[in-house]
Amino acid sequence: MEEKYLTVTALTRYLKYKFDSDVNLKNVYLRGEISNFKSHTTGHFYFSIKDETSKINAIMFKTNTTKLNFVPTEGMKVFVTGSIRIYEATGNYQIYVEEMIEDGVGNLYVAFEQLKKKLEQEGLFDPKYKKPIPKIPEKIGIVTASTGAAIRDILSTIHRRFPLCETYLFPCLVQGENAAKDIVKKIKQACTYDLDVLIVGRGGGSFEDLNCFNDEEVARAIFASPIPIISAVGHEIDYTIADFVADLRAPTPTGAAELAVPNLVDLKHVFTQYHIRLNESIIKKIKMQKLYLDTYKSSFIIKNPMLLFENKKQKLDLLYEQLIRAMENNIQQRKNALEQLKTHYILCNPKQLYEPAKQMLKNVIEKLELLNPLGVLKRGYSLTYQNNILLHSVCSLKKGDMITVKLYDGSIDAKVEKIGD
Amino acid sequence: MEKTKKFEENMKELEQIINELETGETDLDESIRKYTTAMKLVKDCDEKLKAVEEQVSKMVLENGEEEPFEAFDN
Repeated sequence: MEEKYLTVTALTRYLKYKFDSDVNLKNVYLRGEISNFKSHTTGHFYFSIKDETSKINAIMFKTNTTKLNFVPTEGMKVFVTGSIRIYEATGNYQIYVEEMIEDGVGNLYVAFEQLKKKLEQEGLFDPKYKKPIPKIPEKIGIVTASTGAAIRDILSTIHRRFPLCETYLFPCLVQGENAAKDIVKKIKQACTYDLDVLIVGRGGGSFEDLNCFNDEEVARAIFASPIPIISAVGHEIDYTIADFVADLRAPTPTGAAELAVPNLVDLKHVFTQYHIRLNESIIKKIKMQKLYLDTYKSSFIIKNPMLLFENKKQKLDLLYEQLIRAMENNIQQRKNALEQLKTHYILCNPKQLYEPAKQMLKNVIEKLELLNPLGVLKRGYSLTYQNNILLHSVCSLKKGDMITVKLYDGSIDAKVEKIGD
Repeated sequence: MEKTKKFEENMKELEQIINELETGETDLDESIRKYTTAMKLVKDCDEKLKAVEEQVSKMVLENGEEEPFEAFDN
């Protein structure tokens, strides 16, 4: 009979198994109002979700609560997703909440996702468009509300870290329906200023409060800015469209100021280091050069400069000897050539030069002798001229004409007495 | 803007010179010349950093007028 009765544990396990094996209970979308809210020191949230007639216990573990961009409060209307399970110790069923968004924000959230997708596809978030943030800015613009924690945090951080820098506040609305328009206007105004970097943002708030930074026109104004923009909207966990499109996203306004300016102390340290390195490097260089110089100074040749001279002198002597030898050779060669010329046949027998000519001349002379008419006269013939004209015949002559008879060794002027035949 | 660039450029130039000098590849004359330039840069930057004169925060109004702004008087 006892066997019929289940233990509580067995029943609870059975029910737990039933719950766990039900697919519908694994992924439940639930809306309701928060009540009995307790934030445990462990970071888990314990609360109930109720409507007019019913109530369910809810637990949200730290891993999920840290993802929330708002602090749940009593009576807040929320959308939650999670699974229904049984907690064996109490036998209570409860919802293990994984995600929670504020009711009324639901539509905004959808719009956010749609705009994010659209701008992402257009390339507005592309890292290639991200402008580098200058390391040491001197003029910083800030687009945020002129009152509130954000501007205080930004300015105090800048002044604490890097007081050298000038700040220009472009005060704007940061929540409400006119905020987006005002932010766009102030970003555009800031762009006409000679600024090194621009911080755009606001302090923490609800999703709705931050929603002006999810505006398309704000996103486009940030994208179009020629000045690098650091976004600083809300807390660490808050991500807005402005954060995606900005050149750099800061988790908080304070974080933005830290990203915008260097720490003066660090910078001074860097310079001190530079100074030390600079001096060390030049001292090292000089030491090295001195070492080289010492090496050169102690070199053999510098220590024995006479060697330089000696070597040169020796070389000179050698060259001189070579020169003399060359000259002597040269002269000798010419002498030899001269001697050779001297023994030439023609020089030894100079008669040979003119003897044949002389003989030839003699022959010519003899030939001329033979041809000379005066030679004929020598043999006893004579020539007869009348008025210097040589006569070949007696025909032209008559008695009493004066003629000249030319003989070998003189001439006779004669008178024709008789002409014979 | 120009002033800022100068400051940041000075820092870059300084770093570049130091790196060059540390390799020890430049000759002595060039090293001395670079060292002199670098020392001037160090001096300029150092003076600038030492001049911790708090810059005034300004608020730019709608009409473009500027007025001093103090965020800590709440």
